[in-house]
Amino acid sequence: FMKMTCTAKGITLKGSAELVAEFFSFGINSILYQRGIYPPETFTRVTHYDMSLQLTTDPKLKNYLTNVVSQLKEWLFECTVQKLVLVITCLETNEVLERWQFDIECDKSAKESSAPREKSIKTIQDEIRSVIRQVTATVTFLPLLETPCAFDLLVYTDKDLVVPEKWEESGPQIINQSEEVRLRSFTTSIHKVNSMVAYKRIDSV
Amino acid sequence: MAMDLEDDTTVLTTLKSFNSFISRTEPPQRLSEHAGGSTSLQSQYKRSMEFLEAADRLQSSHRYLQLDQEKKQMELSHKRARFQLEKAASYSARDLEVQVDRNQELLGRIKKLEERETGTAKNLSEQLEANHTLRKKLEGLNKKLEERDISLTSANQSNSSLKDEIRELKQKILNQTSTISTQTLEKQELQEQLDLQRRKCQEASQLCQSLQDAQSACSEHIIKIKELERRLALQEQDVAIVKTVKSEAARVPDLEKELKRLREDNAFLRENRDNCGLLKEEVEGLRRKLERMAKTKEELASMELEKEVNKLQAWENLGQSTGLNIRKPEDLSREVIQIQQREFALKEQNYTLNSRAERSHSEICAELSQQRGKALEEQKKRETQDALVRRLQKRVLLLTKERDGMRAILESYDSELSSTEYSPQLSKRLRETEDILQKTQNHNAEIEAQLSKAQEEMGTLKLQLQTVMYLHAYFRQKIEDLEAERQRLEEQNNTLEMRLERHNLQGDYDPVKTRVLHLKMNPTTVAKQQRQQEVEALREEVTRLRELVRSLQEGGSLVHPQDDSSMHNSSLGLRLPPSKEVLDLRKQMESSELRNQRLKEVFQRKIQEFRTVCYVLTGYKIDITTENQYRLTSVYAEHMDDSLLFKKGSNGNMQLMETEFSKTLDEMVALHLHHQKSIPAFLSAVTLDLFSRQTTV
Repeated sequence: FMKMTCTAKGITLKGSAELVAEFFSFGINSILYQRGIYPPETFTRVTHYDMSLQLTTDPKLKNYLTNVVSQLKEWLFECTVQKLVLVITCLETNEVLERWQFDIECDKSAKESSAPREKSIKTIQDEIRSVIRQVTATVTFLPLLETPCAFDLLVYTDKDLVVPEKWEESGPQIINQSEEVRLRSFTTSIHKVNSMVAYKRIDSV
Repeated sequence: MAMDLEDDTTVLTTLKSFNSFISRTEPPQRLSEHAGGSTSLQSQYKRSMEFLEAADRLQSSHRYLQLDQEKKQMELSHKRARFQLEKAASYSARDLEVQVDRNQELLGRIKKLEERETGTAKNLSEQLEANHTLRKKLEGLNKKLEERDISLTSANQSNSSLKDEIRELKQKILNQTSTISTQTLEKQELQEQLDLQRRKCQEASQLCQSLQDAQSACSEHIIKIKELERRLALQEQDVAIVKTVKSEAARVPDLEKELKRLREDNAFLRENRDNCGLLKEEVEGLRRKLERMAKTKEELASMELEKEVNKLQAWENLGQSTGLNIRKPEDLSREVIQIQQREFALKEQNYTLNSRAERSHSEICAELSQQRGKALEEQKKRETQDALVRRLQKRVLLLTKERDGMRAILESYDSELSSTEYSPQLSKRLRETEDILQKTQNHNAEIEAQLSKAQEEMGTLKLQLQTVMYLHAYFRQKIEDLEAERQRLEEQNNTLEMRLERHNLQGDYDPVKTRVLHLKMNPTTVAKQQRQQEVEALREEVTRLRELVRSLQEGGSLVHPQDDSSMHNSSLGLRLPPSKEVLDLRKQMESSELRNQRLKEVFQRKIQEFRTVCYVLTGYKIDITTENQYRLTSVYAEHMDDSLLFKKGSNGNMQLMETEFSKTLDEMVALHLHHQKSIPAFLSAVTLDLFSRQTTV
């Protein structure tokens, strides 16, 4: 019933937080699949946003992602999150090779007024689909990850936020000498997500 | 009585007592014999009777005693029985008492219970009544509840309707807020217009003030003019008196005319002087303004320059440091923001300065042109005045000469008409006119002095104008410099913004506002820990293996000279847990190799068998020379080298290759292969041919 009202009258802060969190869940899964951080046989094919996507079946990874995404949803609802970054680190040299950065601009006025925004979920999902398509297409120009790698998720939040249990502060994990590419963005009219990828420059000389 | 007490021994005692009695009776018998000598038989009978009686008595007493004893025994038993019975009776009585007591207790209890029952019955009835009342109340409450439900549903309906209204009102509010925002925008526009109007108003008021000043100046001028006119009138009157007095002095009106003209000139010059003063004041005001502007501008420019230089140095330092590693990106952003703000301020200042400078420039230009026009006018006027003055001086000279002549004439008149009363009056008038003339001459001189002053002032004004022009050029230069610097700063700002953007893309952040978090147990740390553990395990294994190798080497070297290799071997065996695996694998490998070997042998045997069978049955030995080539040698071949070569084509067909032997079989080839197209027939024919040849030989 709630969802029906959502689709009929636009989007609320809660609905927006859920949509963005869902996007992150699918986006992270497809990056991990595309970049081969986990073996492809541990993924299963699902259909969402009118496109086929890969979801992990690794129980540990699943558990980790649900933990992060549920916390992220809370922060999105509170409008205290600024960025989500997926950092890919080489395990042999401990060097950061790739950074998938998602800047989140929160419209904090949505916290005061609960009036829903006039943007249909259909158009938002169309935007999200094009972002994920672009993420998939980036494999063509990103350098091949030849060494075994692992990933981590960083969340940039407001300074006054209370750090929850199981979480800790981290460095920004910046790449030394990187190339940056801006990707598409989408907005729910409450949260705007700008995506980009930075990767370690390979010395062409 | 003692016998009574001794129950069992009674018989014995009686016997004893009897015996004793018998024994005792002898003396009394003797006594009786002694005493009863007289009564012999009677007494003896009596005595025997007595004895008999005594015996009977004894017997009876004995029986009596026996009976008595029996009785006593009976009594005793009876007593015992009674005693027992009494005892039983007492027991039963006691029981009875107990029972009675219990009965009473029970009765009491029954009574109590009855009382209680009645109480409970009462309670029950009360409870039933209460129940009834409660039921009634419940029904009433139910009714009320229903009523309340009805009211609640109605309230809900009203609530929903109110919610709808609220939604509508919210929408209205939204609309109104939008209209308010548009109105505020309009208001801002209007305020801006108002500001413009105010500025215009100020300008107009300034203009009004200047106009008033001009008007006041005008009125002063008019008053002066009037005064002059009055004076002129007086002079004219005087002249008329002189005319009337002195008809001879016909030239006087001319003089008067000249005077009038001079006065007019005078007034004109005075006006000019006033104008000059005003202009001077204006020029001074402007100069002061300019000076102030120049100072402020210079100060501003110098301050900005200093600031900019400092900043530039700071930035260069920062840039040098950041070129390698940006330590304080927040500084960078702050700097950028500051620079932007400063730039805005500078831009504003620049605009205001520009506009002011332009305005002042235009004003100055206008002033200059005005001044120039005025100066030209002044010059023209001066020239005309110079000409006039010269003419006037000439006339004055003429007039003085004439006056002297007139005086001489008058004096001659006086000398001629000294007696008449007419002369003193005339002379008085003459003196008066002379005085007036003197005054006019003085006045003239003053005017000339004023004129020269005005000219000097003009020169100074011109100098000032030049300085103003110079300043103007200087300021223009400065403005251009500032503009160039502004552009440079803008470029710098742009580059800094670009750099900031890049930093943002690379993931930099402001630690004052932002904090970076991640889950403690994230995949990277887990993987790193695993890796660390693996590395440690491998390291341990490596050290272990190294030790093993060393011990082995030592052991190998020690085997020759000493015979404690067994100890080494045992330690080696203890230290080699994976060797067992290796041994197992080796065994498996050996067994599989063995099996392979056996299979090979079997295959070889079978193939040999198959080939010999083929050879025996078909008469041809078939060898594979190279791939897809088969050599057939017949059993009946005349030479060892006589053989046929067949090649398997790509489509599976067998083709005969030319050999030395096949050249001799042209006929058969033509018949069987080319004509009949049958290799078996050809081969059979060859066999038969060779067989026949061998048998004939």
